[in-house]
Amino acid sequence: MEDSIVRIQNVTKRIGNRTIIDKLTLEVPRGEVFGFLGPNGSGKTTTIRMMVGLMSITSGDILIDGHSISNDFEKAIGHVGAIVENPEMYKYLTGYENLIHFARMIPGVSAHRVKEVVALVGMEGRIHDKVKTYSLGMRQRLGVAQAILHKPKLLILDEPTNGLDPAGIRELRDYLRGLSRQEGVAVFVSSHLLSEMELMCDRVAIIQSGKLIDIRNVQQSRAASEAAGRILIEVDNPGAAIEALAAAGQQAESTEHQGLLVIVGDKEKAAAANAALVQAGIKVYGIRAEVKSLEDQFLEMTGGESVG
Amino acid sequence: MADFFNLIRNENMKTFRRPRLYVMLGLIVGLIVIISGIWAFNDNSFSMWEVSMVETTTLFWIVTIFAVVVASSSVAEEFSTGTIKLLLIRPWSRSKILLSKYISSLLFAFFMTVIFLLALLLVNWLLFDAFSGGNSQQAAMLFTELGGHSFFEYIMRYFGLTFLNTVMTVTISFMLSTIFRSNILAIGLALFIEIVVNNALQLLALIPNKWVDYLLFVHLNLTKYAGSNVSTEDGMTLGFSLSVLAVYYVLFIALTWYIFNKRDVAS
Ligand SMILES: Nc1ncnc2c1ncn2[C@@H]1O[C@H](COP(=O)(O)OP(=O)(O)OP(=O)(O)O)[C@@H](O)[C@H]1O
Ligand SMILES: [Mg+2]
Repeated sequence: MEDSIVRIQNVTKRIGNRTIIDKLTLEVPRGEVFGFLGPNGSGKTTTIRMMVGLMSITSGDILIDGHSISNDFEKAIGHVGAIVENPEMYKYLTGYENLIHFARMIPGVSAHRVKEVVALVGMEGRIHDKVKTYSLGMRQRLGVAQAILHKPKLLILDEPTNGLDPAGIRELRDYLRGLSRQEGVAVFVSSHLLSEMELMCDRVAIIQSGKLIDIRNVQQSRAASEAAGRILIEVDNPGAAIEALAAAGQQAESTEHQGLLVIVGDKEKAAAANAALVQAGIKVYGIRAEVKSLEDQFLEMTGGESVG
Repeated sequence: MADFFNLIRNENMKTFRRPRLYVMLGLIVGLIVIISGIWAFNDNSFSMWEVSMVETTTLFWIVTIFAVVVASSSVAEEFSTGTIKLLLIRPWSRSKILLSKYISSLLFAFFMTVIFLLALLLVNWLLFDAFSGGNSQQAAMLFTELGGHSFFEYIMRYFGLTFLNTVMTVTISFMLSTIFRSNILAIGLALFIEIVVNNALQLLALIPNKWVDYLLFVHLNLTKYAGSNVSTEDGMTLGFSLSVLAVYYVLFIALTWYIFNKRDVAS
């Protein structure tokens, strides 16, 4: 058995003479929740379209569970459940009819499984209503339902939290993590909500203008940024505090906020600074580590650049 | 592999669970009832065959148009609503998915034709005399080339030939909706074929140049062969017309499938 569920191998996509995806190489291990991050127009949806065979690949190949999506489509796609952009359904059918429609296209999906999935996404109450009467969030849930009907090994979701309320987002997040932990389903998810990615993903790839610029392990990078982070100290008299800290051998800087100083260092440095300030008779109202979110790191890396 | 029949069931479900179906059925049956009703009220000396014939020549194009609407929206709407993405990411080749749509479209055309024929015969059997020759002067005008067939045989032959025209028109609009992903265009062109081409362009056949005989439009309307396999209008044979149509048919089908398989889906 292959240890990677997805292998994107040196994939390039050109439309006309524009290179939209440029030599992208990625691997997603089985059971991992993998985030796919990038600014607008960086090529996330295009990559996902190639992964599910909706778009042809100009050069390179994508293997899903060892099968090439371009040469062995039916085998490769059999393990995949997906939502590409919005979950469009047949509006004139009921939610249930929509699910039956997709269940019929895959061998071995029983009526019982359809019921089970309906319960799983919490749609029992409205499943027999026409889809045109659904809210965006309900359509999103139905989209998730059609994607997991056949218990895929790989779930591909393009901005799945789009349109969900906070409770819905949280539910989806917990559900995806559960799928990955308990059933070993790998989840490939793109999102604009960067903070979402931090909570949900094991690893995150960052692309910009069709090029992979970084892959990072979310938990590790959070620990790293805490280790060598900036520490914010709130005091009553910033001028005196800077002097007191300088005397104790620490360099502090004021920030744009009145009374807020910043020093660079770890926990030990924070404790030492606190002791020096108290000794100098300065009131310390608060000390906290400035944790850089993935979002800050992401913006730093992509230069906060818009649509590219 | 799941059953290919399931794909056709899906397409049929999408056709039959829509309110527009009832509008179509209502219009077809309603028009027949109204026209026959008015006719019978004014003068019921006609035979049901004459009335049926007149109504077929004047109303059947509506059946073709409905078949075209269903066939072209079958492909185009999947693109315009984005559902094509969910349809194509299943373990089925694109060719088979398109085939299921095409077969379902032809089944629908057949279904509507049968409904039309049944409504026609039933309504006119109730309102008119089934056996008399009716007004013989009228009959002579309508059934100019009865060609030794009984009225019923003639009408069945006429329907068979008209249905071939419907199949061709449905195939053309199916192709157009696959290429342009717009059902307005496909329906518009089908209307044009039904109304303009079928009536006016047949005159082309009278031009003595040889190449004209190989034009698609000259052969789309086959009803001139209803009485006999050799047209009394221009001397062409049914076999020749069918051969020309078959060549175009194969071309259209090949182009439709080629384009559908090749296309990047980015809607
Ligand atoms: N069919 C197409 N023809 C030409 N260019 C295209 C096509 N589809 C996408 N592009 C271009 O490819 C680039 C990547 O688009 P893509 O939709 O993959 O971005 P994305 O990362 O999903 O963006 P977003 O975050 O806005 O969803 C964009 O510059 C877009 O203009
Ligand atoms: Mg996108």
